[in-house]
Amino acid sequence: MWLPILGLLIGIFLGLFTEFRIPDAYSSYLSIAVLAALDTLFGGVRAHLENVFNEKVFLTGFFTNIALAAGLAFLGVHLGVDLYLAAVFAFGVRLFHNIALIRRILLDSWFSKGKDRKETQ
Amino acid sequence: MKVKGSHVILSLVLLVSGFIVALSYQFTNLNSAANQTNGSQWREEDELRDQILMEQMVNRSLTEELRDIQNQLTEFEEEIVNQQTRYFNLVEDLDRLRMITGNVGVVGEGLSVTLNDSEYVEGENPNNYIVHEQHIRMLIDELLVTGAEAIAINGHRINSQSYIQCIGPVIEVDGHISFAPFEITALGDSETLNEAINMVGGVKDRLLSDNIEVRIEKKNEIVLEPYFSERGES
Repeated sequence: MWLPILGLLIGIFLGLFTEFRIPDAYSSYLSIAVLAALDTLFGGVRAHLENVFNEKVFLTGFFTNIALAAGLAFLGVHLGVDLYLAAVFAFGVRLFHNIALIRRILLDSWFSKGKDRKETQ
Repeated sequence: MKVKGSHVILSLVLLVSGFIVALSYQFTNLNSAANQTNGSQWREEDELRDQILMEQMVNRSLTEELRDIQNQLTEFEEEIVNQQTRYFNLVEDLDRLRMITGNVGVVGEGLSVTLNDSEYVEGENPNNYIVHEQHIRMLIDELLVTGAEAIAINGHRINSQSYIQCIGPVIEVDGHISFAPFEITALGDSETLNEAINMVGGVKDRLLSDNIEVRIEKKNEIVLEPYFSERGES
């Protein structure tokens, strides 16, 4: 359990303290990448709770989502259409959806646990 | 093994996502900071522009002042030029007046008239054969009227205050005793003076009729010494 948390901390540390800079023009790509990463993470959490978690799906989904979002934003910039807004919208909807599912599953498990406890008592 | 592999994958994904999130966070911070610096920069630019405008206004007023001062200077210069011409005229007048009063030596063309006693004839009144003061006065009056600028008797300059007095056989001019022959030199247009003296029935004829030898000579250059009275009186 400590290994993923350590990875998260190392990532944050690297992001904060390395002198890695992105030009102004690519700031929209970065924001979309952030959204894609969060979406995939929550998707993974949901899949884990639903017991349908697959590492390969998770891993490929994570990177392809980021790459796809960045590609979409790139295309939008070059076509003159704000396509990255579509990505933001889609990821945002999915993020809320996933979080809602997670909440529901957690609530269900909580209540079912309480019921079980009650029933056992 | 399987669980550990999934953990590794999860940690990798979390690492990447954490990295991205942190980077985004930092980037946003930097941007806002840059915006702030932009704001302060803008304010600074505004202040500098204000300063430039102020300086330009000051410069403009200074330029106007400079123009005013230059105008004043031009006026002063003109005034000085006027004064200088006035001074020049005054100095010219002064020179002329000094020449008339005999305070300065003068050089120029003029006429020289020499009066001499004629040969004395035995038995006659000797008074009829010598040059008298009135002859000299007459001659000098004629010369002055004709426009002589400076006159000297035997090299002794006379002015408006000079006196000519008869003392027996000699003549005293301003305390300076002269005797015959009297050379009267007059500065002026020699032609005019000559004609005035030689006029028929004029001075020369009258002098000749009074038995005086008259010799008139035109000269190109006459040097007259300035008038100095004895004992330093002016």
